[in-house]
Amino acid sequence: MRIATSSIYDSQINAIDNLTAQQQQYGAELSSGKQLQVPSDNPSAIGQDLAVGNMIAQENQGSQNITNATAQLNAVDGALSSLSDVMTKARSIAVQGASGFVDPTQRQALASQVDSLLQETVSLANTKYAGQFVFAGSAGPSTQPVNAVGQPISSVTFAGNTSRQTQKLYNGDSVTTGVTLQQAFNFNSADGSPDVFQTLIALRNSLQNDTVTSQSAARVNATNTAFSAGPAPAAQPINTAGILATPLVADANGNVNISITSTSAPNGVTIAIPATSTVPGVLAAINAQSAATGVSASFDYRRQQLVLTSASGNFQLGDVASAGAPSAGNFTTAFRLQTSADLTSSLSRQLADIDNATQSMLTTRSSLGGTIQSLTALGQTTSSQVVNDTKVQSNIEDADISKVISQFSQSQTALQAAYGTTTRLEGKSLFDYLQ
Amino acid sequence: MSGLGSFYGLGLMGNALDTFQQATNVTSDNIANVNTPGASRQNVNITQMPAAASFGTTTPPGLFGNGTMLAEIQRIHDDSYDALFRGATASQNYATTQQTQLQALQAQLGEPSNGVSAAFTAFQSAISQLVNQAGSNATSSRANVLAAAQTLTQALNNASNAVSNQKNQAVSQAGTLVNKVNGILDQIASLNGQIRASTAAGDQPNAFMDQRDHLVDQLSTYLSTQTSVQKDGSVLVSVGGQALVNDSIAYHIAAPAVVTGANGIAQLQIGGKLPLGSGQLAALADLYNNKLSGYGQQLDNFASSMAGEVNRITGASYDQNGVAGGALFASGVASQPISAATITVAITTASQLPVALASTAAGSLVTNMNSANNMVDTSAAINNNGSLANPPAAAGIAGTLTVTVDGVAQTFNYDTNSTDGSVNSFINHFNAQHLGVSASFDAAGQRMVFTRDPANIDLVHRAAQQAAGSPTDPTFTITDSNNPATPGASLLGALGASGIQGATQDASNAFGSNDNSGANALLGLFSSNVGVPPVQAAVATAIAAPGIKTIALPAGITSIRPGDVLTIDAQPGGASPQENVVVSAVSINPVTGVESITATFAKAHAANFSVSSAQVQTLGQYYGGLVTQVGVDTQTAIAGAASQTALASNIDQQRQSIDGINLDEETQNLIKYQNAYQAAARTMNVLDSLLSTVINTLGTGH
Repeated sequence: MRIATSSIYDSQINAIDNLTAQQQQYGAELSSGKQLQVPSDNPSAIGQDLAVGNMIAQENQGSQNITNATAQLNAVDGALSSLSDVMTKARSIAVQGASGFVDPTQRQALASQVDSLLQETVSLANTKYAGQFVFAGSAGPSTQPVNAVGQPISSVTFAGNTSRQTQKLYNGDSVTTGVTLQQAFNFNSADGSPDVFQTLIALRNSLQNDTVTSQSAARVNATNTAFSAGPAPAAQPINTAGILATPLVADANGNVNISITSTSAPNGVTIAIPATSTVPGVLAAINAQSAATGVSASFDYRRQQLVLTSASGNFQLGDVASAGAPSAGNFTTAFRLQTSADLTSSLSRQLADIDNATQSMLTTRSSLGGTIQSLTALGQTTSSQVVNDTKVQSNIEDADISKVISQFSQSQTALQAAYGTTTRLEGKSLFDYLQ
Repeated sequence: MSGLGSFYGLGLMGNALDTFQQATNVTSDNIANVNTPGASRQNVNITQMPAAASFGTTTPPGLFGNGTMLAEIQRIHDDSYDALFRGATASQNYATTQQTQLQALQAQLGEPSNGVSAAFTAFQSAISQLVNQAGSNATSSRANVLAAAQTLTQALNNASNAVSNQKNQAVSQAGTLVNKVNGILDQIASLNGQIRASTAAGDQPNAFMDQRDHLVDQLSTYLSTQTSVQKDGSVLVSVGGQALVNDSIAYHIAAPAVVTGANGIAQLQIGGKLPLGSGQLAALADLYNNKLSGYGQQLDNFASSMAGEVNRITGASYDQNGVAGGALFASGVASQPISAATITVAITTASQLPVALASTAAGSLVTNMNSANNMVDTSAAINNNGSLANPPAAAGIAGTLTVTVDGVAQTFNYDTNSTDGSVNSFINHFNAQHLGVSASFDAAGQRMVFTRDPANIDLVHRAAQQAAGSPTDPTFTITDSNNPATPGASLLGALGASGIQGATQDASNAFGSNDNSGANALLGLFSSNVGVPPVQAAVATAIAAPGIKTIALPAGITSIRPGDVLTIDAQPGGASPQENVVVSAVSINPVTGVESITATFAKAHAANFSVSSAQVQTLGQYYGGLVTQVGVDTQTAIAGAASQTALASNIDQQRQSIDGINLDEETQNLIKYQNAYQAAARTMNVLDSLLSTVINTLGTGH
């Protein structure tokens, strides 16, 4: 076949161009270590490559998030562990204080111990992790959310909320990382039982002032009804049919009569309570005699229980017979009160409150432990997923260096041959032999 | 003595010398043009001179020749290879043009390591970090989200610029090429005229023909040419049956123009409606119309869908100061919607990033729902349940909750005798309705918790929301058709949620600045399927019967393209008659701008049915699809360029083997003609000396 001279050159140029382009491609693969440098290098894998790259970034961030969350939960767990110690100490003080062998001076000492425990619980409730109050719920107060009122502490206020924060994880799962003050300190509990602070304040007061309380043994309202302080729904009189679990019997004057005997009123003070009173009316009637009896009344609306407190030791409460009303078991039965209140029985009831608050905290702590455990496991899984995904990404993206090196030298040889061929062809022409 | 004249031999040799002289000239011309593109080799056809007539009786006619003569200088050229070569050249140039442009685009997109996908991934990671640290002290993670959003919008702007630059370049390049093409057409026409004149005069215009054929070769790099050589030697050049050069008249092709097609998409038109076939011009038109426009549209769809979904959540959240949040992404150009080119970050202050969602748990609106000293058994029947403070009576209650979210009121029908038998079944039933509010039970607090859930909104709601002007609002209200204040008479009352009636959730009662629910919703967004492009609309005209139907969309929706999947008549829970259809055709009314779509409907739909982009893929997958498409197109162009270049080069080699010039061959010819010339000259010399003998010796002195 005839070969045109220019086509010899053209095909040499083509060959050299192609080989140079190949060299450049292999060179780029070798210098970057990647065979997938632009989408057109492997369009069928680019989608997967982007997805895997994204997955790895999310898993790395997820892994970091899990570490943070675990650290935060560990901080919470640490606070709960300290709280557990506090409650154990408080319990042993309560047991000690209830003993008849302890004199009032020693009780004062015990009371000041309880007071310092109380201060410790307040600071535990304000535990911070990474600048954030861990028991504040989703509220983000800049100052501590739990604050003591009064000196000595008479109550505790809470500026946070009970929202439980959850974190969505990269894999779509959610993990609840928040523990609420309610869960940890039995604060504003659903069943109305006293929280850690109230329990410790009551214990301290009992030890310090010989404060004795008599309290309804259980709720006094009938099922599906509730007393309220008003105004809405309207506060109901105590003689409303069906509102008390055990109804009252009013005397001929429409009253219910009780007597309170205490150290300041050794002969007893009789109090007539109109049966048409609302709960605030009952409290007002009893508190009107506080100066004489030393006993004040309050109502725990959440628990629907009446609480009678004496700041000066033991007291007796009795029903007074009146025309048309029974002599015993009328008011005390309806409001489920102990007729005699002393320090020992008061403290032993507080022991139950301490145990209840401790139990609530322990339940929270065990579920917290479960969360920490599953987070740790997930952290490990995530790490191994990162390794796997990186492997997948490497398979897609990374060049097989030894293969590319061999291809590189192969194309280099070919390129050299093409150069050689071109040089020879250029050098030779029949003209060279013309004389 | 014969009848031949004495100078017969000299004349004969003279002819030979002339012939060989001309033959060496042709050979020289060939050698000179060895590297001239388009030059065909010329062959010298040498024939014997017509025989001499008879001279006297001894020399019959035809016995002696008159020597040699140059019959013709033949242009060796095979037109059949021209067509093959030009076809291959057109394809080669088509592929290489696309290759160059697409590779440039690919480089500008920066995938997989530096482009939008990397920025999108970083944005997701920043959100993920925010989920972990949404607290008031987490200013750094909030700022990080804003920075990542900024990077993402810049990456989208850059990608969009890359595409539009490439489009502009295609237009301006097409303009330059059209000018070149018209210049070539003029030259061909003028050469046609010269060739026709020369041919008519009996000349052989070989050089003109070479030039002309080479110009046609050049022309075929721009578009697919067809040629036919006319009797008069001129060539008719046409493309797709339309003449470009007829004899000496050139028909210029029109300058490129960007026009709006019937489907509302801008089209690059080169040479009017001229069927360009293949070549650089066709490559540019195809790039513009079928590739770059598509990429640009997909980038815009990605940007607007992503922005829409993110804004839906940020608009439904509170910022760190308890202020109702706004859109994170906005359009930088007020008069235009959000697209890849216009997308910007609207929030610049870290504390204004909306991350907290309203929840009844954070406020004091919801009371405990347990009766005193009881814990609620959420799996037990609600009716007459002693663990509830206000259980419905044994007969049960039925009624309707009205949930108002984003200005859209939706009803939720409950019945404690069936669908809402227990607290758990109520929660499942309620959440399955995608009302934009989700219900849960807080066991520790013994309370129902209703939380604003912007991610849990179905397509029906979205369509209604869009019809209302797309409001987003972090607040929500829930009311009960039964009076919640009456114990045991309403579901809300039973759920202890009586206080929620008519109450607006706001920063004062339901806001927690440490709340990360909005960030959770954002993170969830990246793994959920979304509708791209972001279309949610209601169509008033019913579809009475299944079949292929064309429906007009509400004004303002112009982003649907053939192949898009739409969810028609979305129903809560995906109930019948919901269906997905694939758009087969799109047309835009040039006057009203209303877009109509054609699709095959398998079901009938009542009036005011909803039309939404089907939620079939995640945002990441959608963008991955775009990158894959760019990769496939580029790879196709690269492979096409390689194979078409090889093909064109093979055909050229074939063609050149016939008409190309080979130096060695020419050298041989040169030697051949040189030797012949030398021999003829030598013969002449001998003849001369013979004559000189006769003239000088015989005649002298007599």
